[in-house]
Amino acid sequence: MNFRALIFILMPSLLAAQSVAELQKSFEKKVTEFTLANGLHFIVIERHDAPVVSFHTYVNVGSVDDPGGETGLAHMFEHMAFKGTPSIGTRNWPEEKAAMDAVEKVYDRLDAERNKGPHADPKKMAAIANELAAAMEKADSYVEPNEYDRVVESNGGQDMNASTAEDSTNYFYSFPSNRIELWFLLESSRFLNPVFREFYKERDVVREERRMRVESSSQGKLIEALAATAYAAHPYRNMPGGWASDIDHFRRPDAEKFYRQYYVPANITLGIAGDVNPVEARRLAEKYFGRLTTRPLPSQYRTVEPVQEGEKIAAVSSPAQPFVIIAYKRPDRHSPDDAALAVLDAVLSDGRTGIIYKDMVRDKQIALGAGSDAEFPGGKYPSLFLFYVAPSSGHTSEENEKELDRIIQQVKTTKVDEETLQRVKTKLRAGLIRKLDNNAGLASELCSYYVNYGDWRKLFTELDEYNKITADDVQRVANTYLVKEHRTVAYTYVPDAGLDKEGAK
Amino acid sequence: MTRRAAFLAVLLAAAGLAQTVPSYTQLVYPPLKQVKIPEPATFTLKNGMRVFLLEDHELPVINGLALIRTGNLFDPPDKRGLSSVMADVLRSGGTHAKTGDQIDEELENIAASVESSMGETSASISFSGLKESAGTVLGIFKSVMTEPEFRQEKIDLTISQAHSGIDRRNDDPQGIAEREIASILYGRDNSYGWNIEHADLARIHRQDLQEFYHRYYFPENIMLAVYGDFSTSDMREQLEKLFADWHPQQPPVPPFPPVTAKPAPGVFLAEKSDVTQTFFSLGLLSGTLRDPDYPALEVAVHILGSGFTSRLMSQIRTKMGLAYSIGAGWGAAYDHPGTFRIVGSTKSPSTADAILAARSELEKMRTAEVSEQELKTAKDAVLNGFVFYFDSPAKTLARVLRYQYFGYPNDFLLEYQKKVAAVTRADVLRVMQKHIDPANLSIVAVGNPKDFGKPLSEIGKVEKIDLSIPPMPAAAMPVK
Repeated sequence: MNFRALIFILMPSLLAAQSVAELQKSFEKKVTEFTLANGLHFIVIERHDAPVVSFHTYVNVGSVDDPGGETGLAHMFEHMAFKGTPSIGTRNWPEEKAAMDAVEKVYDRLDAERNKGPHADPKKMAAIANELAAAMEKADSYVEPNEYDRVVESNGGQDMNASTAEDSTNYFYSFPSNRIELWFLLESSRFLNPVFREFYKERDVVREERRMRVESSSQGKLIEALAATAYAAHPYRNMPGGWASDIDHFRRPDAEKFYRQYYVPANITLGIAGDVNPVEARRLAEKYFGRLTTRPLPSQYRTVEPVQEGEKIAAVSSPAQPFVIIAYKRPDRHSPDDAALAVLDAVLSDGRTGIIYKDMVRDKQIALGAGSDAEFPGGKYPSLFLFYVAPSSGHTSEENEKELDRIIQQVKTTKVDEETLQRVKTKLRAGLIRKLDNNAGLASELCSYYVNYGDWRKLFTELDEYNKITADDVQRVANTYLVKEHRTVAYTYVPDAGLDKEGAK
Repeated sequence: MTRRAAFLAVLLAAAGLAQTVPSYTQLVYPPLKQVKIPEPATFTLKNGMRVFLLEDHELPVINGLALIRTGNLFDPPDKRGLSSVMADVLRSGGTHAKTGDQIDEELENIAASVESSMGETSASISFSGLKESAGTVLGIFKSVMTEPEFRQEKIDLTISQAHSGIDRRNDDPQGIAEREIASILYGRDNSYGWNIEHADLARIHRQDLQEFYHRYYFPENIMLAVYGDFSTSDMREQLEKLFADWHPQQPPVPPFPPVTAKPAPGVFLAEKSDVTQTFFSLGLLSGTLRDPDYPALEVAVHILGSGFTSRLMSQIRTKMGLAYSIGAGWGAAYDHPGTFRIVGSTKSPSTADAILAARSELEKMRTAEVSEQELKTAKDAVLNGFVFYFDSPAKTLARVLRYQYFGYPNDFLLEYQKKVAAVTRADVLRVMQKHIDPANLSIVAVGNPKDFGKPLSEIGKVEKIDLSIPPMPAAAMPVK
């Protein structure tokens, strides 16, 4: 290589490193952080171009924290957070509270009878169930339906929703910027004093959500089977939606206990991005969120997944067209190999220049779609580096699995070329820049980086880590982690053809 | 606050007692700051292409979107899918000078993109790039638009993927419900409602793509919007230069075919054995945004089925616990009747109950006026949230472009705001009665009838939908 060519290759990377540092410096001026005495942390990002503000509440709790036999409880609480407070959502709080407590008393009797197992009296149970329905109806008669939602909506709130993942629970929406105080009032109230009204109706809704996302979707079923197979002991084996029978089983006091344990101020980070004055934000934070009392942080310990002793298979019978996932064990996101794994992922499947797309979709045309994901289902605990394939018509899952194996072998034995590596780094940098003009995205990202890495600046500094990754690093992590003994293959098969598939294994 | 109260407040604060917080009803909001609505620069290039430019210097990024007046609605009856295949290969098939694969690498090396796509009533070519490489991206964008090569290998790839897509089209129950309600409402014999089949794809050839391209992709039929970190005068000069050598001409493009469908009331069942939920859709043809009743209809359908406070949500999700997802939309389109739909899903045993409950909520909206509070919530939601239409230059520019494209006045949105503010309870009742007749509803259910509690026949006469996918005719099999 002559000198000119060398300069050509080096230049973009120097430029890249420089402009990210500059970007961070100018962005830094827009950000104010503070922590209340009770432990709540706030990140305020000023963008005054338009009179709108986005809010994000990031709670460091997820389905990994679901108690045994109560999977789906973190998600259930998320739904209850929209049910209001003693003053929002009720026509008469004292009477409603009495009626809600009466429901639990009847439910206790139902459970007591059920707990007799084979000695339980079905007639008695049916009678108590009728009583229970009547008690619930009475409690529900005090409800002012969806008042919390209505206040947000009628004040121009946009995109209000929430999500529960393995590692976190997120609540978010946007307001016109003259309504900032209303957010402080509503958001602090629902976490200060949530009322779990209509719990059992909402439990049915949550059950319907599972039917929609998992039970009526062949890919949903496949992903659930993958997690349950890949993990023997760690709670990543359970999806955030939980198992059907657990949802039908858990009760209001379970959710209340969960709330007291995990919705602790120091476990909650709030992001506010847009037309907001940080001094005013702090005053309002003290006034409204200062009401939450300090409580100890919950334990982060979760059963450590033991080393996998051999390849595992999950086969899901489905009349749908085939889909395959191959998932390898990888360390959590604090591993020194995290950046190299992210770069490997991008080399394999980012855009139309990723190795997998070029080989399997574009050239050999054996897959309708295929790619990889460096971190599934979460990142707080050791997770999975996975590959997925939707085979093209006329091409089998086996054929695609073999080709994936060949590609994996290739990245283990051949170093990725400089041009590809440089392209991936440039794209990672551009990806960051493109994130910076969106209030909702910024509020969410900065919370997430703060919680997971201790500093929102990691959003910028991780680019330095990516820039340091060499072709040797990429090859090394491929060899370390993409190991057959540590993988799980999950696939769907059409029932009649199932035997052939198993025979081939 | 009286002096005594103020004194007391100071004492309480000094004593470290918790401040009392007001109820939300007591909050007083300052007036909202005036929104700065940027004015895009508009001009026409020498070759006839309309251009809209808007500077936005927050990030070192430049983006563009060209709208081409064509769409799936111009697919020939024997080559359904042609327009989408064309749009895909416009990008992947490369230009005269470069293959699509070379363009992929060149763009991704600078973290840029150029994409082409086809919609029902518009086609688009978009680009995005960092300011530092804007010249390169614009050059590729122009070549893709003006000198596509439609290389055969990429036509084969796109068509092969489309075949695989057809084979997978019955895997997602929600997708089936959406597709089938559209087919029923518009009819299956026209471009609004038909499905693309294997046989159609087999009849599509390179020459068809080239002819489609030449007919619609010419400067006078294109509007281009560019926004981002540039100076308007520089960009204008750059675009004039860039497109100086491109001036093909074609006769004006005719209007899209009119919708001729008649109501098809009834219950339509698509059987799917591997689901525990039924996905349903109740619909009828709606209207356009030009309809004088459009603002009142938006408010009415908002009360019926938009967001968490709507009647459908309150009744079927919150009170009955029968659905996670349930809602309705008026669905007006810019230039032809769209579709009004109620969509939701419920566990198989409660299929008929949930559908009947949804229809009953619709009927209630037509028999009595909504409450003052419901009207206020719906109107407040639109009016207080109005600022979000203007919260980024990109949104403003996209809207101006769309209004120009469909021939709507630039102040359409502001007029809409005024009309929403004026909607009364009587208006809501009137437009519901006039436009949404439950007797005309087509109802599609996708689910497993073995597990249904009540049979669907309790709702109406049931017609089965044949989901089978017509195979490729042997004569049309490609010869390799």
